[in-house]
Amino acid sequence: MHPGIIFLGVIVGSVLFHIFTPWWWTDIASNWGAMDDTINLTFWIGGGVFILVCLFMVYCIFMFSYKEGRIVEYKPEDHKLEKILTIATTVGVIALLAPGLIVYNNYINTPKNALQVEVNAWQWGWQYRLPGEDGILGTAQVTEISDDNPFGINLDDPNGKDDILIEDDVLHLKTDRPVKILLRSLDVLHNYYVPQFRAKMDAIPGIITYYWFEPNKIGEYEVLCAEYCGIGHYAMRAKVIVESEGNYENWIKEQETFSDLIAKQEKNKLKKNLMAKNNN
Amino acid sequence: MSNNSLNNLPEGFKGMSHDMGSDQTAFKGVQWGKVMMWIFLLSDTFIFSCFLISYMKGRTSTVVDWPNTSEVFSLHVGGVPVPLLLIAIMTFVLITSSGTMALAVKYGYEKNRKMCGWLILATAIGGLTFVGMQIFEWSKLIHEGVRPWENPFGAKQFGSFFFMITGFHGTHVSIGVIFLFIYARKVFRGDFDNGKRGFFTTMKSDYVAIEILGLYWHFVDLVWVFIFAFFYLW
Amino acid sequence: MSDEYNQKNTPLEAKSSETMSGTSGTSSKDIDYVRPAELPEQDLYHGHSFITKWIFCQDAKIIGIQYFLTAVFTGIVGLVLSWLMRLQLGYPDLVPFITPEHYYQFVTMHGMIMVVYFLTALFLGGFGNYLIPLMVGARDMVFPYVNMLSFWMFFIAVCVLMASFFVPGGPTGAGWTLYPPQAILPGTPGSNMGIILMLASLSLFVIGFTMGGLNYIITILQARTRGMTLMRMPLTIWGIFTATALAMLAFPALLVSCIMMTLDKMLETSFFMPAILQAGEVLDYGGGSPVLFQHLFWFFGHPEVYIVALPAFGIVSDLISVHARKNIFGYRMMVWAIVGIGGLSFFVWAHHMYVSGMNPWFGFFFATTTLIIAVPTALKVYNWIITLFRANIRMNTVMLFCLGFIVTFVNGGITGIFLGNVAVDIPLSDTYFVIAHFHMVMGIAPLMVIMGAVYHWFPLVTGRMLSEKLGKWHFWITFLGAYSIYFPMHYLGFIGVPRRYYEMYDSPYVASATGMNEFITVAALIVGFAQLIFIYNIVSSLSIGKPAGKNPWKANSLEWLTPEVPPAHGNWGEKLPVIYRWPYDFNVPGAKEDYITQTTPPSEVINAEVQKT
Repeated sequence: MHPGIIFLGVIVGSVLFHIFTPWWWTDIASNWGAMDDTINLTFWIGGGVFILVCLFMVYCIFMFSYKEGRIVEYKPEDHKLEKILTIATTVGVIALLAPGLIVYNNYINTPKNALQVEVNAWQWGWQYRLPGEDGILGTAQVTEISDDNPFGINLDDPNGKDDILIEDDVLHLKTDRPVKILLRSLDVLHNYYVPQFRAKMDAIPGIITYYWFEPNKIGEYEVLCAEYCGIGHYAMRAKVIVESEGNYENWIKEQETFSDLIAKQEKNKLKKNLMAKNNN
Repeated sequence: MSNNSLNNLPEGFKGMSHDMGSDQTAFKGVQWGKVMMWIFLLSDTFIFSCFLISYMKGRTSTVVDWPNTSEVFSLHVGGVPVPLLLIAIMTFVLITSSGTMALAVKYGYEKNRKMCGWLILATAIGGLTFVGMQIFEWSKLIHEGVRPWENPFGAKQFGSFFFMITGFHGTHVSIGVIFLFIYARKVFRGDFDNGKRGFFTTMKSDYVAIEILGLYWHFVDLVWVFIFAFFYLW
Repeated sequence: MSDEYNQKNTPLEAKSSETMSGTSGTSSKDIDYVRPAELPEQDLYHGHSFITKWIFCQDAKIIGIQYFLTAVFTGIVGLVLSWLMRLQLGYPDLVPFITPEHYYQFVTMHGMIMVVYFLTALFLGGFGNYLIPLMVGARDMVFPYVNMLSFWMFFIAVCVLMASFFVPGGPTGAGWTLYPPQAILPGTPGSNMGIILMLASLSLFVIGFTMGGLNYIITILQARTRGMTLMRMPLTIWGIFTATALAMLAFPALLVSCIMMTLDKMLETSFFMPAILQAGEVLDYGGGSPVLFQHLFWFFGHPEVYIVALPAFGIVSDLISVHARKNIFGYRMMVWAIVGIGGLSFFVWAHHMYVSGMNPWFGFFFATTTLIIAVPTALKVYNWIITLFRANIRMNTVMLFCLGFIVTFVNGGITGIFLGNVAVDIPLSDTYFVIAHFHMVMGIAPLMVIMGAVYHWFPLVTGRMLSEKLGKWHFWITFLGAYSIYFPMHYLGFIGVPRRYYEMYDSPYVASATGMNEFITVAALIVGFAQLIFIYNIVSSLSIGKPAGKNPWKANSLEWLTPEVPPAHGNWGEKLPVIYRWPYDFNVPGAKEDYITQTTPPSEVINAEVQKT
């Protein structure tokens, strides 16, 4: 069999695989449809180039396989052709790059009305902190973390008192409201990634990173850690529940604030002291 | 046909690329060993650049304040702290040794064996003095409690970067000093005059070797100037 | 500068060939003129005992073979590790001893071995040592002794790396990128001796490579034979030269990051370590920057990609030209593309860090530079396929591997455009799309070139041909198998499956991929076992292969024109060759044969209408 047939088969097979594949994007659940569009654009331009280049190669090996005495073209250079190819490629690359940069510009500029959510990552789990009534998160530090203060919120910071603490890996979000995810890590690198939202960013100990998206589809989504973080990396999952505004408000009312937590601990301490006294 | 063609060579940038791309050698008349040293130094430049850029990044991103360098590095002379005194002497010694090295290369090419040998020895002693003073400074800092992992004066990265970078540079100087002594011996023995073959490589010795060693030594001095600027003056 | 040189002028011309070879009559003397020798004859150390001839050998050809065999050995270790990983991914409970801990150790060692100890060492140490002196017409590398040290340093580095399999805690499982803080903290397997040995081994590798790299660069720049201008060098040499230059400038960043991480581990400095809370305790670290490590690592890591790719580009250009019996199209553009890609590769490193938390504004700059680099790369692809157009293509194993390279490289190159473009990269980064991309473009594609190159140069090294029949079986299984491993894998990335997952199938939307993972595992096992054909072919051909004779492929370049085949120590016998043309004069109109070797003087092919010399 002529090798060209097999190479042709590889190309046709790739195209068929793409057409009939059961594996494709998860249904998008955020505003980042533009990312899918740029991917599709790259896919069609890139895929077209791949097919053209390979078909040309197959054509050549069909037409010009070895024959004694075949007349071979001798043309070391062809400046005109080289120039055309350079310009065409450059134009193609610009066509791919420009939309990408526009989308990226949106990605790094968070809208003003975005809801802030702080994600705390550690080996190997997640917890969340939402700003309270004042809409501002209190400052926090790894070194402040203790059993009484699981997020390491600075006790002198008044903004931190009304912060809502969620010591659980299920996060609720309301639909159609932009969310700014602020990422903090207590130990190593992590990455808060929901495939359906498309967006992701590493959490780095020592600094706060961010990204934003606008969930627009009610449902439950799995969170995956997308930056290798040690043995438990693959098991570091969590859940995001996107729900209507009403349900969200109900959920948030049930959550504890930092001052609630302090009060509760104080009460416990008091109780303990009392018990100790009684025992005496 | 070749003799007159020298007059109509291309000029300017075109001429340079023409020469570089011509047959046999890209750098005409330059010894293999010398090109090797230049390229090695280029690579070494990248090592020191990475160190110094890391240092700049580390210094600007620490959470604790950087110590006041003019206090940390000052010497007490008669009870009065004099900032930069020791460093000034160290820098002066090292730069002077660069001068003696340059003279050694000159006398080497003039085949003045004695002068060449003594000047190499002088360079080596300059290098030794530098290393000695560096050891003094290290022990002073260690005595005051500065360690790679901690620093009583402020950010702990100060100790880590200081010991790592000056240590790496000091290693360079020490290796240079060892080679200077070896070469001094070779010069006095006359190896470079009679083209004696080297111990390991069985290559013939030549006075170019002194220039190559000189290149290394000047490089080490130049790096010190940058370290000096970044650690002591910033 | 000229003083030192003039003194040496007298003895140097005495031995090298002053007379024009094969010329007669005064008229041809003018067109055959080549400048006299500038360089003295190189002193070579000829080994006499077994040890100096074969072990501590100073002949670049033997050193090349030593590099080749050592690299292939580590490569086989890497291959076996990849099997174990694939077994876990395809059939999770089949092999009981693959715990998460072991899985991550396999991932890490597989990555590091393949990128650094296999591909880099094989292309530069193996092919570089063997081919550079032969192709530029030198007797040996310029510093044979340093060259020998380079190999033994590499050998020690490999030993240290392999030793880490046997220390308590095992080898490091930090991922080949070794990102701190995780790499040196207890949550990662092998975070004690494993990571220390890895860092030590890398440092030794860098030191050893620097010694070799100086040799390659200076041999190419300063030790070419008469008539060998830079623009007459085979593209193989251009590729290896540029890759070595990149390595000399990129490895320092790796060395520095290794030193700093070793100190972080052993002395508890805090270069890369911020304040960390682990297992409820605040560690003694504080104030360092983990992102700094990533910058240093990728400042090495991205040029590293081209350190592997550029020699492959160069070699494949030569193979295509020889076996298509046609000059490589656009030679000068090919050279500038190699150099341009090499230069640009220092300005694109942060495209590995789009989601790393670095300053987001860097994204614009690095996306732009990354896509600029696509232009010269695309031009190279065009030139390869235009070379095939109106050629006379021998459909032998070597050519098949070249065609396989083109398909896989174009595929992987185009997925590279996805990942270089920052907005497209965000959903795809850290998924299987990345794995598929880089295995296609810097795993399979360079491997195709390596295998093609082995089929091509085996007759030169051993004097015998490899079996074509076995070669074709080897090619088709490897190519089709590897393609069916990595092509579908892109779609796992589209689904959103993250990389470096020990197990993933309880996610509802990922469960659909189980079948594909099983298929990929089976394909990986088949491709791996197919390499036994290759090994059998090599071993059996050593004794029963058809004798090759001189220049069996009718190639033009110098390595085939040595007086003895295989070439002896010193390569050229009495006289160094003299070069009159570039190595791609195939099927020149007017010439009697379909090739004109580089040493053929113009007066011998007076009727040939040569356009480029």
